[in-house]
Amino acid sequence: MSNGRRTLVEEGTQFKGSLSSDCPIEVKGKIEGDLNAPALAVSTSGAVHGKVKVGQIQSEGELAGEFDADVVRLSGTVKDNTVIRAKSLEVKLTPANGKMQVIFGECELEVGSEQQAKETGEKKNSEAPPKPASIRPPEATAGNGAS
Amino acid sequence: MPELTADVVLRKVKAGEKVERADLRGIALPKALLEGVSFRRSDLDGANLEGARLARALFNNASLKEAFLQGADLREANLENADLEGANLSGANLQGANLNRASLEGANLQGADLSRARLTHAQVAAANLGGANLSGALLLHAVLVEADLSTAKLEGADLSNADLAGANLEEANLTNAKMKDARTQGANLKNAIMTGADMMSAAGPGPGKRYFGKGDVLRNAHLEFDSGASVEIESLFEQCTIALGKGTELVVGKSGVLQGCQISGSGLVTIHGKFVEREAPGIAGATQLLVSAGGSLTGVVEQPAEYTRFAFEPGCMLRMKIRQKNNGAGGNSDRPARAGRQR
Repeated sequence: MSNGRRTLVEEGTQFKGSLSSDCPIEVKGKIEGDLNAPALAVSTSGAVHGKVKVGQIQSEGELAGEFDADVVRLSGTVKDNTVIRAKSLEVKLTPANGKMQVIFGECELEVGSEQQAKETGEKKNSEAPPKPASIRPPEATAGNGAS
Repeated sequence: MPELTADVVLRKVKAGEKVERADLRGIALPKALLEGVSFRRSDLDGANLEGARLARALFNNASLKEAFLQGADLREANLENADLEGANLSGANLQGANLNRASLEGANLQGADLSRARLTHAQVAAANLGGANLSGALLLHAVLVEADLSTAKLEGADLSNADLAGANLEEANLTNAKMKDARTQGANLKNAIMTGADMMSAAGPGPGKRYFGKGDVLRNAHLEFDSGASVEIESLFEQCTIALGKGTELVVGKSGVLQGCQISGSGLVTIHGKFVEREAPGIAGATQLLVSAGGSLTGVVEQPAEYTRFAFEPGCMLRMKIRQKNNGAGGNSDRPARAGRQR
């Protein structure tokens, strides 16, 4: 349990290497490397490049690499060669003349399952949380090219 | 016995006389030269007019039930309000003929040439129009329920408000056909060519709305929708290509399934149902792509230069790759992520 604790990578801070935490990680700076945590929040100034396995991702910043999570809420930027695997992905629609909610580079999305889509379609308005999912180990090395 | 014999009719015709309101039931006039003759209000039930030359002949309000008109030349003939129920008109030439309000129920028009013919309000239910040429024909409000229009040529035909429920349009060519407010429930549109077909439907909430209802099946069709149109699909589309004009709204409804399809153009695409691409990119150039909860997308999405505006609702199913137009960088294959790679 995090008990309100969080790991903060502050703006202007760059971290390279593996980071594992039992409390949520908030990134305002930049992380390059592997990351394990129950939750990851990336602010507009934040960037995470690498392999990430977390329960939840809430990103308004920049993502590149491989991301495995149960729940992903995205805005900001997803760079080239990024793979996102999730049980649930949310990207909100913005007005046509407004700022783009999320800019996707050349990337891959593996989200949900046929069965889940069917079930969710039937219970569209229910607020039931997504079921936890086991995380499949990533198969390829993450790239971090620019879009 | 008919009131007039064939010889009498031919004599009258030679003398330039009309043959109106006559009882000509079962008369045999095969291959007869009867161009421009008036048979108005005559009873020609069961008549044999096979191969007869009847161009510009007048049959208004005549009864031709079960008549044998195979291969007859009826170009520009006036058959308005005529009763042709069960008649055999296979291979007949009816170019430019007036069949407004005519009854052709159960008639055999296989291979007939009805190009530019007028069939407004005609009753053509259960008729055999297989392979018939209806190019440029006017079929407004025509009742074509359960009719066989397989392989028929309907290019530029006007089927506005026509009732095509249960009709067989397999491999029919509907290029540029007007189908505004046409009823197509249960129609078989397998392999139909619908390039430029206007399928604006009364079922839609407003002007410019095209609606493909539940139960319709469209295979190997190519559809183009003009800029600003609104298209809703609740049907099954297989191996179809859909070209969207700028700002065209395409909604795949909850019951809609686009299997092995491709969508191109700068439209606004919403998927509540299911989309599986035929070949990459399955969706190219869309300015907006929304996959709602319960929606499913398998394929490659190619963004235009100005990027696609994406939106995904929790609960959607995605096996997709996103790529940029004219950019093969990144070493990604064009194959979509396999649906089997589920955790």
